[in-house]
Amino acid sequence: MSSFTKSAQQWATFARSWYLIDARMQPPGKIATMCAIRLQGKHKPIYHALSDVGDHVVVMNSRHIAFSGNKWEQKMYSSHTQYPGGFKQVTATQLHSKDPKAIVKLAVYGMLPRNLSRRTMMQRLHLFPEDDLPEDILLNLTEELPQPREIPRRLNEYSQEEREAFPTLWTPLPQTFK
Amino acid sequence: MVFLTLSCWIRNRGPDRYWKVQEVLSNARHFRGRKNRCYSLAVRAVRRAFVYATKARKIKRRNMRTLWISRIAAASREHGMKYPALMHNLVKSSVEVNRRVLSDLAITEPKSFLSLAKLARARQQEGFGAALGDGKEPPGVFSRIVTLQ
Repeated sequence: MSSFTKSAQQWATFARSWYLIDARMQPPGKIATMCAIRLQGKHKPIYHALSDVGDHVVVMNSRHIAFSGNKWEQKMYSSHTQYPGGFKQVTATQLHSKDPKAIVKLAVYGMLPRNLSRRTMMQRLHLFPEDDLPEDILLNLTEELPQPREIPRRLNEYSQEEREAFPTLWTPLPQTFK
Repeated sequence: MVFLTLSCWIRNRGPDRYWKVQEVLSNARHFRGRKNRCYSLAVRAVRRAFVYATKARKIKRRNMRTLWISRIAAASREHGMKYPALMHNLVKSSVEVNRRVLSDLAITEPKSFLSLAKLARARQQEGFGAALGDGKEPPGVFSRIVTLQ
């Protein structure tokens, strides 16, 4: 990298990258923090709020996010139509069924700083409910980020050898015991 | 009556009003609205601006420090460490590099910053190494225990 010309080094330092995050079976809050950090540019040592160093983030499978606990029924998203009697409250399930991108979008919007650059950063966030991404976005992607949550496997997804190798707390009784 | 001739009625109000007004307006030329042109509005705006500038000299030092800290945190996360861990372990290793120099190293001397991060990581893992390892020094890191050969 030290053998690059000054202009090439400058170009490489200030170029805008495109990151890909797969949100399948991931908590939307953790996805949103990763997005917010990269949209602001806080993952770069050259960060400054006025320098516009944020990158693009593409989130796929936003329909398959996984809230922990009872948040699908208990978390409420509120809005107001600005008409009298226009206060609306919907649960996370209802909002997700109406628009599968809205939960991640609102989460990221709330995590960005409350200034005029927030709207431009949201323009650089690209959400897709499934994993079919358009051609031009696929061509731009530079890096895929690791998922924040390790997806636990169901019992039938473990092989028989792994199940037998799992440590038991007791020695099983011999078959001839009565 | 004192002012008996016409020449005594003329008052000299002061010869340099223009320059006194320009002194204030020149500081207001980049303002928005009529306060960049009209003296009475400009005087108030300029006084406010100077007060903000006086207070900002202290705030600038605070802002610069938070900027250095966020830059160092970003660079250390690139190398798999968090900012509090990095600073604490650098202090424990008696590396007294301040945040301004650390952030400049992170931007312009990435290899030097990487070596400092590795030093901090080695110091962080020292307890683990003593408990679990075989008592040898981690490779590639100078420590306090210098063996003369």
